Amino acid sequence: MEKEELEQGLNLNRRKFLSRLSLGVGSAALGSLLIPDLFSGKESAEEDLMNALPHFAPKAKRVIYLFQNGAPSQLETFDYKPLLNQQMGKELPESIRGGQRLTGMTAGQTSFPLVGSYFPFQQYGQSRAWISSIFPHTSKIVDDICIIKSMHTEAINHDPALTFFQTGAQVGNRPSMGSWLSYGLGSENSNLPAFCVLLSRGRGNGQGVYSKLWSNGFLDATHQGVQFSNSEDPVLYLKDPDKMSRDERRKMLDQIAAMNDLSYREFNDPEITAKVQQYEMAFRMQTAVPEMTDVSKEPDSIIKLYGPDCLVPGTYAANCLLARKLSESGVRFVQLYHQGWDQHGNLPNEMALQAQDVDQASAALITDLKQRGLLDETLVIWGGEFGRTNYCQGKILADNYGRDHHPRAFSIWMAGGGVKSGMVYGETDEFGYNIAENPVHVHDFQATVMNLMGIDHERMTYKHLGRRYRLTDVSGKVVKDIIA
Amino acid sequence: MLKSLSLKSLLENVLFIWVGLVLVLALGADRLLLPDWVQVIGRSHPLLLHFPIVLLLLGLLFTWIPEVDQKPDFKKIGDLALLAGCNFAGLTVVAGLILAREDYDGDAILWHQWSGVAVFYLCTGLYFFRDQPKKVLKPISLLLAAGITATGHWGANITHGQDFLLAPIQEKEAEITPLAEAEVFNDMVLPILENKCMSCHKEGKIKGELRMDHIEGLQKGGKSGPFVLAGDFKNSLLIQRIDLPMEEKKHMPPKNKAQLTEEELEILTEWVANGASFEQKVVEIAPENKLFVLASKKFDSKKTYTFESADYSDIKELNNFFRKVEAIYPESPALEVSYFGIAAFDPASLNDLKKIKDQVVKLNLNKMPLAGADLSVLKELSHLEEVQANFTDLDSKQIEVLALIKTLKHLALSGNKIDSDALRSLGEMDQLISLYLWQTGLSSSDQSSLKSKLVNTEIDFGFDGSSTIYPLNSPKVSFDKMMFRDSMEVVITHPIKTVEIRYTLDGSEPDSLTSEVYKEPIWIKKTSTFRTKVFAKDWIGSPEANFQFLKSGLTPTEYKLLSTPNKQYKANGAATLFDQIKGQNNHTTGEWLGFQDEALELEMTLNSDVNYSELVIGLLYHEGAYIFPPASVEIKGFKNGAWTTIINEVPEQSQKVELPRSRMLQYDISKVEYEAIRIKLYPIASLPKWHPGAGSKGWVFVDEILVN
Repeated sequence: MEKEELEQGLNLNRRKFLSRLSLGVGSAALGSLLIPDLFSGKESAEEDLMNALPHFAPKAKRVIYLFQNGAPSQLETFDYKPLLNQQMGKELPESIRGGQRLTGMTAGQTSFPLVGSYFPFQQYGQSRAWISSIFPHTSKIVDDICIIKSMHTEAINHDPALTFFQTGAQVGNRPSMGSWLSYGLGSENSNLPAFCVLLSRGRGNGQGVYSKLWSNGFLDATHQGVQFSNSEDPVLYLKDPDKMSRDERRKMLDQIAAMNDLSYREFNDPEITAKVQQYEMAFRMQTAVPEMTDVSKEPDSIIKLYGPDCLVPGTYAANCLLARKLSESGVRFVQLYHQGWDQHGNLPNEMALQAQDVDQASAALITDLKQRGLLDETLVIWGGEFGRTNYCQGKILADNYGRDHHPRAFSIWMAGGGVKSGMVYGETDEFGYNIAENPVHVHDFQATVMNLMGIDHERMTYKHLGRRYRLTDVSGKVVKDIIA
Repeated sequence: MLKSLSLKSLLENVLFIWVGLVLVLALGADRLLLPDWVQVIGRSHPLLLHFPIVLLLLGLLFTWIPEVDQKPDFKKIGDLALLAGCNFAGLTVVAGLILAREDYDGDAILWHQWSGVAVFYLCTGLYFFRDQPKKVLKPISLLLAAGITATGHWGANITHGQDFLLAPIQEKEAEITPLAEAEVFNDMVLPILENKCMSCHKEGKIKGELRMDHIEGLQKGGKSGPFVLAGDFKNSLLIQRIDLPMEEKKHMPPKNKAQLTEEELEILTEWVANGASFEQKVVEIAPENKLFVLASKKFDSKKTYTFESADYSDIKELNNFFRKVEAIYPESPALEVSYFGIAAFDPASLNDLKKIKDQVVKLNLNKMPLAGADLSVLKELSHLEEVQANFTDLDSKQIEVLALIKTLKHLALSGNKIDSDALRSLGEMDQLISLYLWQTGLSSSDQSSLKSKLVNTEIDFGFDGSSTIYPLNSPKVSFDKMMFRDSMEVVITHPIKTVEIRYTLDGSEPDSLTSEVYKEPIWIKKTSTFRTKVFAKDWIGSPEANFQFLKSGLTPTEYKLLSTPNKQYKANGAATLFDQIKGQNNHTTGEWLGFQDEALELEMTLNSDVNYSELVIGLLYHEGAYIFPPASVEIKGFKNGAWTTIINEVPEQSQKVELPRSRMLQYDISKVEYEAIRIKLYPIASLPKWHPGAGSKGWVFVDEILVN
């Protein structure tokens, strides 16, 4: 803390010194004509950079990320591999596995029997994409989405993989994707946070989500994701106490702000300014949030579209509906997490239940955005943190088996916001184990999302502890082929 | 003095050589056969030309020095400069005429050549008539200076390209071609040829007999053959020459000139591979095609706008906590305006937009209460292309106003009631590209009549819930605990207020006809199996919600476990079974006793004063965790010094893996009054074949035993 105070003081003095110098030295005026920002007293190039955002015309203005936490199996959803059904129970050839490391859960297994999908697949839409029978609603919107079957990641366990997807690093000290976008593009609607987080839990085997996933990392605290509660009261402690009027609240905040300003002048801690801003945001949220979370005005067809669970707070369907309402009101990044996709065993049973929870509402979100003319400017992403093995964990039975974690290939889908619709991108080999064409690394995915939002992922950096950081670290290529 | 005189006469004599040579070359160069070494002299033209320019201009300047005739030293220098300049001019013209025989052709070279020749002869003439009166010389010197400048400029144009001189200060064509209008040749290929090839392959400098400055030239090709072979990039000279290694003489562009970038090379290759068309538009290529991908990188798929930007301070002022005004992308003059915050919305604030009336292209008013608001200000927004006004309570008059905005291309009116007047107005908007009319109350005949009027518009009528039937969700059942003492209140709710909730307490499945309809909270007075479902018109009945409600019984006077539970799941021992706390559906909470290797065996002494009627055993089933119903239940009663078997049965067994759930086994013990009772529950010794753990031992989990 002392160090920061010292640095702040130095920064401020240097800035003041430079800007005053620039006024005083008349002879330097010519130089400043040739180099316009020579004496502007800017603290760093980052400020210039941020003023120039977005870097180019954005295709998407907002993102809704439907994170399927626990890693849904690609082989029971979008990656149809009939060979696995034909070779049911046969050993996974070593040439295919190619020395892939195993998790602690199957490391002790002596045999890796291939197992095919319990659910039948069919082709849908003009894109003739293969989708399994657990997604009857998603199969209806297949021409509005782009399925990427060739995702791959570096992590093999949930927490690092999830953190990698969200922050670009496996260890949790970096800003989340939503924080980066909040930092880079700000909020459209100044009455709501730019980055909101909604959680739900399914009936399958679940894995935890932690607040580090929506952390602002080293960015200013105002860019942290705001987690909405699963209860009837999505933002806790937002209501004024009984008998307190808006005016009184306003006066109180003004007094606090005045005192905070005093201590800011003394310590120059940027966290103080962040705090004042958060108080102001909360004050405006007091009217904006009730507007937002009121589902009573939603027409009956919306209840049918999302399924009646959308009226039960804390369900995935309710979160999808709330996500649409937030996004429609200008929230830059809405992050959903739906837990329960970790099917090491009992897969057919649990996946059917998980799919029941998410299929209708995910598809409804696409249809709903579309019928409001908002899909073009809203990017929707559906997917987990990695894939699942093509061999069985534990014993194979006709209607019961499990799959372990698999980082080498998995499927996600994206829709709207400048992504080509009705497209299937990438392909895995016939075992569904390795990528056969067009691999998309997690950093490539992040670079693509940034690009759709009008940001060059290589140019949006933040200097922290002496080095520049970016969401995609030192790699990532925009997947141009899927951009409309 | 003598020396300088002899130099002067030498130069004057040499000058005549140039006069003759220039005459011969200018008139008959193409008929002369020149040896190779002469080419070297020709190519020194760009080097030599600087001397005559400087010397001649210097010489001409001296004619302007006041009374120069009275200053012989000055005059001498001026004369010498003019003389030397004329000599260099002669040499330069000769070299130029030789160079012109290489691949130069066209208007520019013609002007340069003849003006050069003219300048040379005129300067020579001026030199020999330099003693004429000043009033004659001065205008001639001016004319010559202009001639020298013009000749130099035309020459520079040949070497550096047309308009090289003024390019940096000329208005730059910053306009980005929209993707929709871009042409493959004109917008992608031609700019590369212009920048990297044309300085040597155009009118005035046609190297290798190849001209690139008009399409005929490209079609004709050069001296080595055709420029391109449509579709065959491997055999096309264009690509072959580019692909040659840099050291090769024929590598293009020549090694000292700017080379092609990776992207430019890709564009040229793909252009040839795709048939080298001169007319094709980018939008005519399939989107998967690499050329299209390259084009979409290069061109803006967003429209570009050429109107003036709004005043920055106006934009700043219009931005506030309920309204966002921002450029649609950096540096675009076009603005997008969004309103947020229903509570803070004032329709009059729309009038603020007059300040930026020529810049607003997109207006987002979704959900703002616009009922009765005056929208006429929108007609003043001269470039308005998109209005989003979903759920804004617009009436037909307001929609009529919107319909008058002829610049509108996209209109979202979902959630507004569209009556016949409004429908008529919308029918006139045939310029629309997209129109969103979900939840507008239009009948299917209205929809088809609108579609027939707006044939070029994509109309989205959205999701119509009435034609689809989906299942309802289960009701929410709230109560205090699953176990109660005397009676307990049960409240059933459902998020959709209009549904019918039905329930049963006797274990039968609730149906939509005969089961009890839930109207008010139910009071449960005895141990029962509670099942409930909801029903509604246009919906499939919900899955049921069911619970076992246990009326807590009497505590036996004494009880003890005769077997020991697994050490991981021993809870509080036998006391757990009589603590009147119903365990949650999770065996790890410490509320459950678990048995795997041994059967549960419990003995309890009953109070002889009480009539016991019923014995209830609370169990947990969770096949996924190997927790099954007991393989068999054995209950014995003690009376008159002897144990008799009351029950010995196999309870209903699991058939598949299901989610964890509480179940109870209920037994009637009212027939005989026993002094004590022994219960024995046997875990499954070998799990069934269908289970992943087939053959392993199963578990029995018990949390409560009740006697009533």
